[in-house]
Amino acid sequence: MMFAPADMQAILLSAKVGSVATLVALPLGFCAAWLLAFGRFRGKLLLELLFNLPLTLPPVVVGYLLLLLLGVQGPLGKLLEPLGIRIIFTWKAAVIASVVVGFPLLVRSIRLAMEGIDPQLVQAARSLGAGPLDVILTVVLPLSRRGLMAGSSLFFARSLGEFGATIIIAGNIPGVTQTLPLAIYDYASSPRGEGTALLLCIVSVVLALVVLLLHETILQRKRGT
Amino acid sequence: MPVISRIVLIGLFILSSARSSMATEISLSVAASLRESVTELSDLFQKRTPGVTFKKNFGASGALARQIEAGAPADLFFAANNEWVDYLIKKKLADEKSAGVFAYNQLVVAGKPGLKISSMQDLLKLNRIAIGSPKSVPAGEYAMTAFQKSGIDKQLEKKLIMARDVRECLLYADRGEVDAAFVYKTDALLFSKQTRILYIVPEQLHERVTYPMVLTVAGSKKAEAVAFIRFLASPEAKAVLTRHGFEVR
Repeated sequence: MMFAPADMQAILLSAKVGSVATLVALPLGFCAAWLLAFGRFRGKLLLELLFNLPLTLPPVVVGYLLLLLLGVQGPLGKLLEPLGIRIIFTWKAAVIASVVVGFPLLVRSIRLAMEGIDPQLVQAARSLGAGPLDVILTVVLPLSRRGLMAGSSLFFARSLGEFGATIIIAGNIPGVTQTLPLAIYDYASSPRGEGTALLLCIVSVVLALVVLLLHETILQRKRGT
Repeated sequence: MPVISRIVLIGLFILSSARSSMATEISLSVAASLRESVTELSDLFQKRTPGVTFKKNFGASGALARQIEAGAPADLFFAANNEWVDYLIKKKLADEKSAGVFAYNQLVVAGKPGLKISSMQDLLKLNRIAIGSPKSVPAGEYAMTAFQKSGIDKQLEKKLIMARDVRECLLYADRGEVDAAFVYKTDALLFSKQTRILYIVPEQLHERVTYPMVLTVAGSKKAEAVAFIRFLASPEAKAVLTRHGFEVR
């Protein structure tokens, strides 16, 4: 059995959404992790809860809230509409769903790496005259490299699997917003789609395994050093 | 074995035997769009038939059929199209002789109250139209057939927003994310707040929207399940369906 063009598009779109989402989330995740690892401020616990919320919320809830926020009547959607930016029902919506849902995983990995940094190194840099930004760029960033890589791979894997939030704010439009999990759902709910559904499941499993293997390899190397 | 788990086991045993001696349970697998009507009908039947209880499982027809195929307990299957009933009959999991029509529905276009749609061609004026994914949602399949028969499928292609199910289509229409949505009349009546039925899609443009029902092989051996499916064909049951917006003949 061969893939239909729409199935191939679904696989490619999943890769595109995952990559773009990772690139978008990485700088944000780095800042969030830095705040949580080194910041001392009021409301830190609240921020921490907020960042972790998507991990425990059902993705359907995340999708519905994003629809309320980004839709034409939503507060953010209303701001974007005059600028000609429309997010709902485009591949960008799938990216946003992935970013929100995978964010806690990314932050967690980076934060763990940051908390493993010897505080004396940071103090030494400060005492040698490095400014806060300088410390972040020359000490914290390089030393949390592994956390960034591990977090990114986990985040990428999560976004390959994103379904619940995506189907609500992006729809299930073949060739436009239909990612791999959405295509599988479509085939699995059709009486004639069983074969293709299984085939796409295999693709999905292989992709996930490769990414998770990468993730484990990064973690192993970290333990080795 | 620890005392706790022994007590739990004995408790479970008592519970299960008590249930089976007191009541017969009829398991229903019901297409999501029939939730309200089937619930009302089964409550009605339960009230006048002592000793019968219902266990209802709601979902997409396809998911329900696959559950039954995998051995999930089900005596009666209500589907949103014939395909899934035929699928179970072909797999020898449903009793072909018991298959019948539960109700009919109408495909409608729902949207903003101000919009005027008086023909399929009028749809071309709209920017975004929500339909269920044609592959997995029967309402979406009917809509696609109607587009093709009206010769507007190519022009509409870029305007179609495909949703997971009919209720999601309605959500999009209610929030103003789409101009119009292809949904069933009963869903539009029950669930939309901001939208109105703008147009009833002529029935010659698609197969009639039919909800079949069938006893599973297990259900056909249960007298109570057989009695229930007979009750569903009674004038009284049909009156309930009509009140919910369904057609019965």
